[in-house]
Amino acid sequence: MWQIIKNEWLYLRRTRMLVGLSIGFVMVFLFSIILGNYQNQKELKASETAKKHLREQWESIEAMNPHSAAHYGTYVFKPSNLLSSLDEGVSSVTGNMLRVEGHVQNEMVHSEASQMQAISRFGKLKSSLLLKFIVPLLLIFLAFNAVSSEKQSGRLKLLVLQGASPIRIVLAKTVAVWLYGVLLLALVVATYSLLNIQNLSGDTLFRSLMVFVSYALYYFIITGLTVFFSARWQNSTVALTSMLGIWMFWSVFLPSVLLSSVEKWHPLPSRNEFKAAMREDRSKGIDGHNPADERGKELEKEVMAEYGVDSLYKLPINYDGIRMQADEEYGNQVWDKHFGNMRTVFTQQKQSMQIAGLFNPFISLQNASMGFAATDNMHHQEFLLQVETYRREFIKILNDKHAYGGSKTGDWGWKANNEFYKSVPDFDYQPTALGAIFHHYLLDVGLLLLWFILTLSLLFYGTRKMQLV
Amino acid sequence: MLEAKNLSKTFEGTNALVNLNLSVASGEIFCLLGQNGAGKTTTINLFLGLIKPTSGAALINGEEVKPGSNTNQWIAYIPEVVQLYGNLNGLENLDFFSRLAGYKHSKAELSELLIKAGLQEADHTKKLSSYSKGMRQKVGIAIALSKKAEVILMDEPTSGLDPMSTDEFTSICKELAAAGKSIFMATHDIFNAVNVGTRIGIMKEGKLVHSSDTDNISANELQQLYLKTI
Repeated sequence: MWQIIKNEWLYLRRTRMLVGLSIGFVMVFLFSIILGNYQNQKELKASETAKKHLREQWESIEAMNPHSAAHYGTYVFKPSNLLSSLDEGVSSVTGNMLRVEGHVQNEMVHSEASQMQAISRFGKLKSSLLLKFIVPLLLIFLAFNAVSSEKQSGRLKLLVLQGASPIRIVLAKTVAVWLYGVLLLALVVATYSLLNIQNLSGDTLFRSLMVFVSYALYYFIITGLTVFFSARWQNSTVALTSMLGIWMFWSVFLPSVLLSSVEKWHPLPSRNEFKAAMREDRSKGIDGHNPADERGKELEKEVMAEYGVDSLYKLPINYDGIRMQADEEYGNQVWDKHFGNMRTVFTQQKQSMQIAGLFNPFISLQNASMGFAATDNMHHQEFLLQVETYRREFIKILNDKHAYGGSKTGDWGWKANNEFYKSVPDFDYQPTALGAIFHHYLLDVGLLLLWFILTLSLLFYGTRKMQLV
Repeated sequence: MLEAKNLSKTFEGTNALVNLNLSVASGEIFCLLGQNGAGKTTTINLFLGLIKPTSGAALINGEEVKPGSNTNQWIAYIPEVVQLYGNLNGLENLDFFSRLAGYKHSKAELSELLIKAGLQEADHTKKLSSYSKGMRQKVGIAIALSKKAEVILMDEPTSGLDPMSTDEFTSICKELAAAGKSIFMATHDIFNAVNVGTRIGIMKEGKLVHSSDTDNISANELQQLYLKTI
């Protein structure tokens, strides 16, 4: 089999058109890698500068009422990771900056798509675009006549007579073309790694490896199916047309149809519905029978009883801080309920898309590629959760200072000093380790493996039915 | 040695080959004549094991040709046009096909094989796409030599060759037979069949209707016989 693979490569190397095409392709790849990496570094630097600037601003607060500081708030940034320049996933539409303040959970802003019309229309030139759409096309063009040309020329007879079994020929042809795709893939992953060698972590390497494995499996599926058609049908044009049809169906048509269907099967509330429901729950109570004013009166009684006083103004602490924190915590429960519901819908949507991989390995590849590059919606939701956890901690520190820092109820003019503001921790984003969430992508990898086995079986079956004369 | 015992092949109710009994011994060149569709290529494909017989058996060196048998190790095949890899040169093509058969030759050995097959040294490193039909046939013969094939099956190998190339090809075939190879050649070329063959056969509608030695027959007599038979 190795002889046939070697011979195929020698033949490909001598085909001037392919060599020219490959050089052009590698140039485009390198350009996209360098450009993507540059954009990534630029974004990372910008967000680090902004983060540093905001922290300096925060730490320079000389004296301020903690509640005013809660409204002053701060900003957190979603740092782009190394692999986001390989597959940006949902990053360009979700934004990368979020304002953290009291009373309210803000949405992320500053998405690239909202700022650049060209990106919202055409997307960016990313390696993933080439790896997902163009390389498979190239593999189809390389493989569509791999066996049929041997049959038509009569070489197949000679190959078999020299001792190469049909299955060896078909497998070798598949592997030879597949290796071409794998080489381009390796070039991309290796170049990214080399460009960022100082930032490589175990997790990034693991993610890169999984990205590599996912694409390699998909390329085998595409190449294997094309060679199967080439072996099965005498006419190579039929093989080419069939595979182009499958490519279009898998990569263009089916994902759009599935996405629309999944959104219909598991609908998300509109932004207005979501906000109105949050407002209502916060004012009327989660169960609808516990309005805010009643909750407030209940809390007043509790606190006064705890301190044995009959007026809020006789408390040794600032009741306003306790009330604001209680309101904050109630608001958190409301948010947990609604955001939890939304996460459930997201999970349902993700699962439906994953199952669709049974009919379309491209969907599995897309899920795996974005997931392993840490740029899918799940990673985004993980980031939002970390931000919300920080927001709660941040606001609680400010409310506690307001309540127990030395002021009395109604003393809105009281101010905490600079030392306190310096002691408030900054947001420290911890990227989600792949090992912790790998099980979420098992189905995608599993389905790609299933398609790989199915393709191998088809190749065996195809050669059994293959006519040599 | 090549043998056919009551060898028959039917394609969807049509008899392509009917009860063929034949043997080509070592050193013999058997030329099979017949019109298009007479069953010559079917006979070759049966010996190559590319199709299964409906009944009877095809044997190479006494072993029946069937799935799983090792008869291919003794056979070489030269089709009407030897289609090898155009982007590779003669040496590379020979190297590839030899290795496929399990033979690893040095460059000098490969070159020697090509020279033995009649291909001039200057042409060894030229791309096959620039080769004439005759030159390709010679690479085909070199492939047969490289795997030390004992039986060589040829399907109209001189069709389209100029007289000089045909003559050269004939000489090579005779040398191969002298070296002990059994050669089975399907051809339309009556004059060449008499010239190169030790025996000739005429096939009509899947049946071998005539078989004789070439010693006692001239080309003109064979032509008359052929026309009468067909």
